[in-house]
Amino acid sequence: MTKIVDARGLACPQPVILTKKALTEAGQEPVTTIVDSPTAEANVSRMAQKAGWQVAVEAQGDATYLHLSREGTAAENLALGRAKVLPAAGPLVVFISSDRMGRGIDELGDILMRAFLHTLNEVAPLPDTLVFVNSGVRLVVEGSPVLEDLQTLADQGVDILACGTCLDYVELSEKVAIGTVSNMYDIAETLLGAGKVVTP
Amino acid sequence: MPENKTVEYGVVLFRSVSHALRGERVTQEAGLKVKLIPVPRQFSSNCGTALRFLWPDEVAVRLALEEARMEVEAIHRLE
Repeated sequence: MTKIVDARGLACPQPVILTKKALTEAGQEPVTTIVDSPTAEANVSRMAQKAGWQVAVEAQGDATYLHLSREGTAAENLALGRAKVLPAAGPLVVFISSDRMGRGIDELGDILMRAFLHTLNEVAPLPDTLVFVNSGVRLVVEGSPVLEDLQTLADQGVDILACGTCLDYVELSEKVAIGTVSNMYDIAETLLGAGKVVTP
Repeated sequence: MPENKTVEYGVVLFRSVSHALRGERVTQEAGLKVKLIPVPRQFSSNCGTALRFLWPDEVAVRLALEEARMEVEAIHRLE
């Protein structure tokens, strides 16, 4: 029996949360999630792939059916010519090595970084991991203007790693407000194992 | 997606980024909960930065900006 999650009309992160729950309950059984926005399509697909599910995408009018399966079912859909199978992708990592976006004008760089992190909640695909190093760690501590945005990302399953050495250097280790304090082993492995690294 | 679905927001559009920054400062000084965000796609503005506020604070936001003699391009409710 295929379990159906009708996530049409639901705002982020509801489609991801409902699908995640259905996948856990389904065990090895297939799950179909119905979405009606490209953002939900991308975010649900990414989450499912990350959890080891195959994703077959089928468009039906305004809705998109995401057929999630362990093995086989996606291939059957493909054979029937009904769907395309998304390629497996490595994690999408955003590497933030400064508390500003770009160089040259500090005040402008502040605004741009705030705008960038806010916008990550509104565009697709959702990154898997955000890595904060050097002055970037100032964004994850108490008083940071982007905590609310980072919390929304974290609620959708985005991992947030902050460089422990960096926090220690700027004497903000005690003020971490979000994410996991991490070391260079984790950070290096995250970067090397990424499908794509984006540096704003 | 913007934080809480039940919270209603409005945005102030300004003519320039420096106006937006000043707008943020004066409204924060007035004790209002505001946030600089990229101008939402449905609006157009030469300046890419807008000031988001809680819609129930609309009058207080207008007042704070007026008192600081700040020109605004537009104020919209965010749907």
